[in-house]
Amino acid sequence: MDSKQLLESTVRIKIIGVGGAGNNAVDRIRMDMEQLEGLNLACVNTDLKTLSDSPVGETHLIGRNITRGLGTGGDPELGRKAADSDREIIGRLVEGYELIFLVASVGGGSGAGISPIIADIAKKNGSLVIAFINMPFTFEGERRFKMADMALKELRAVSDAVIPLPNDMLLQEEAAQDSVLNAFSKADEWITRGVKSIWAILLNSGLINVNFSTLREVFSICGGKTLFGLGKGQGANFIQDALDDLVLCPLLHVPDFSKVADNLLVNIVGGTDLSMSHVQEIMNFVTEKFGSKENTVLGAVIDEGKTQTVEICVLGTTAAGNLRSFRPKHSISASRPHHTPVKKTPVVASKSLREQIPAGEARQNGQLEFLPTIQEELGFEGMDEQRGFFEETGRNEHEGFDLDVPTYLRRGIRIVI
Amino acid sequence: MVTSKIIGAVEIGTSKVVVLIGEIVNEKTLNIVGMGVSSSRGVKKGEIIDFNAASDCTHAAIMAAEESAGVRADAVYLAQSGCHLETFFNDAEVTVKSSDNIVHRSDVRRLLSEAKSKQLPEYRAIIHHIRNGFILDGMPIDDPEHMEGHKLRVGYWNIHGSVQKMSDSIHIINGFGLQVEDLIVSSLASGKMVTTDEERKAGVLVLDIGSGSTDFVLFKNGYVVYSGVVAVGGDHITNDLSIGLRTNAKLAEMLKVKNGKATLEPKSKNDKVMLIGDLTIGDRSISRSAVCQIINARMDELFKLIRGDKHIAPLFSNRELASVVLTGGASKLNGIEDLGEKVFGLPVIKGENPSWVASDLASPDFSTALGLLYFGFSYKDESQFTEQRKQTKLIRGMKQLLGF
Repeated sequence: MDSKQLLESTVRIKIIGVGGAGNNAVDRIRMDMEQLEGLNLACVNTDLKTLSDSPVGETHLIGRNITRGLGTGGDPELGRKAADSDREIIGRLVEGYELIFLVASVGGGSGAGISPIIADIAKKNGSLVIAFINMPFTFEGERRFKMADMALKELRAVSDAVIPLPNDMLLQEEAAQDSVLNAFSKADEWITRGVKSIWAILLNSGLINVNFSTLREVFSICGGKTLFGLGKGQGANFIQDALDDLVLCPLLHVPDFSKVADNLLVNIVGGTDLSMSHVQEIMNFVTEKFGSKENTVLGAVIDEGKTQTVEICVLGTTAAGNLRSFRPKHSISASRPHHTPVKKTPVVASKSLREQIPAGEARQNGQLEFLPTIQEELGFEGMDEQRGFFEETGRNEHEGFDLDVPTYLRRGIRIVI
Repeated sequence: MVTSKIIGAVEIGTSKVVVLIGEIVNEKTLNIVGMGVSSSRGVKKGEIIDFNAASDCTHAAIMAAEESAGVRADAVYLAQSGCHLETFFNDAEVTVKSSDNIVHRSDVRRLLSEAKSKQLPEYRAIIHHIRNGFILDGMPIDDPEHMEGHKLRVGYWNIHGSVQKMSDSIHIINGFGLQVEDLIVSSLASGKMVTTDEERKAGVLVLDIGSGSTDFVLFKNGYVVYSGVVAVGGDHITNDLSIGLRTNAKLAEMLKVKNGKATLEPKSKNDKVMLIGDLTIGDRSISRSAVCQIINARMDELFKLIRGDKHIAPLFSNRELASVVLTGGASKLNGIEDLGEKVFGLPVIKGENPSWVASDLASPDFSTALGLLYFGFSYKDESQFTEQRKQTKLIRGMKQLLGF
């Protein structure tokens, strides 16, 4: 490739809906996504009927010889066989894409069986895999719950980040008079916002861009739980609004989510009036709450058409089986000077960012680097609070369910705060 | 001559460590002479997860208790809880040997050792053999000796636990330079304290709802007929609240203590409570019904779980129980009796410690430690048939196992 080609090659992103629920989700978010440049949509299923109904351009039927164009009937083993028999199709599906978002429900056979294999193949091809996984209701029964749990574990092992969206929690989000469909639309909204936010910092030139290799660094730690939170603010106090909204984001308050991440990606999409001090305020808050500054990558993009609005997306990764260690072993920013005197504020705070990073360089060099800060010693109690109260103990199983998970979530009781 | 023995009772709980020092005078009187309480660290759901942290706070509590007593304990009775405890029932039958069909002591001994001879899986050790009543030719009997009959039967409830978990707590006491005289299951200790003889005869289910776990014990005809642990307690309510209301554990705990209620209130739909309550930044209002819903779901589930236990459910369906008694820290929750009555269909009362206990030990928080002292004091009565104390032997056995 000559340098011209290099310049032209942008990051290619694909959203793949797997199984019935995944196809439907991709169908629903299609409208929002198709206008985004460099983003492709695809659906994969064993069920020809669902697939042919899909308005998405790229569809792949797999396991033709296994299920004969029918569904898996809730059997993940069948899904796995179908995916195994069509590895070439999956290989073509993921080839050439740097970033792959998987959207699936692990309550069904195709979602649970196929998506780990796609993730595996994609990762071996060098793609970064982020999976949005819909979890079935607990009251759907023990068998489904176990199956979903297994699939989630498999996915965690082969993906860079897995964001579970439990139906139990989605139920909490719908208004009392809403239908179940509206609950799913909340999940769609989260997926859309998450994808858009990552797309924006990668491909929109803006305040602080993140290039793909930096993004990859964030996901160099994987296998553990993923932290994912969204916050939106509008009006006069839009920064504080967004931070309040982020703290209350239900995705951060479910047992399957991590409360603190080893590596953190913070995306800020703001209006034209988003200033550097706003960015700094958000950074200070977010890093204090979810991780440490040394291991945080920041991206900020300006949406020219908006004012007095900001959207924050926090995505963090933890290492597998490393739940106890709070401080990660290595830092992302390699050029960070070590053992420099302690300073609480980021370097850039003193200058305007546009001065610091010229627009042309932003894409190559778009990472904010902070001086190291001394981290406060964490007391035992503080640790508990952040890591989830029962994190360090074994699962509290009773008839296949984890008793440590709040009863109201498992029973599907809606709590209105 | 006045002989006195100083014994200590140690309960390493999930939220706090309670130590009581008792003086047994002339083997007849028990005086409680010292008390020490420290907040617990490194214990979750009734089990030790951080040895050093748990050890430090336990030692602090023992030190405080010994200081207030002005004497050092000779030996310690230690409470055991946690999900590793399991129980099984084992019974045996012997034919009365003598030609005149009179039951001799040797018959009883033979029967008892037979009934207790069941082998355990690896790495498990018996904590209690709890003898139920004798049955002589189908007739329940308290003491069969010198009675006439052909077949003598007896059943034992055996409570066993993981050797590793038990040795953790024994190590903590040994680390302070004290010997563990006996391990006692928490539910037995507290259950004995908060119920009367009459209640235990008529049939009572005692729930000791602690921070990290709920220990339950069932008495029928005056005997322990079942016990168990569910690793759900007050901490779970706090955790549920903090997830459901999206706040931190500290505020959730405050909210639970101040505004928690186990029953639903339809009229409180628009009733709001403040999260912190002192108008500081970050305070926000929360619907009272949300708080109640979350707590109600958790407690309802806990009660139904225990009620539905395969050993307990038949007793409810056969109406063999007369009441349910609640104790432990989480039993202080408002409305918990009403919820209990709805689930169990029996009168539910909050247990009280016996009247001989000083007023500053009357709180349900001390039931288990008091029960331990009482156990240490009155143990001899229950070992009338065996010369040697079986329990001490177990501890000795475990000590050998652990190499000290």
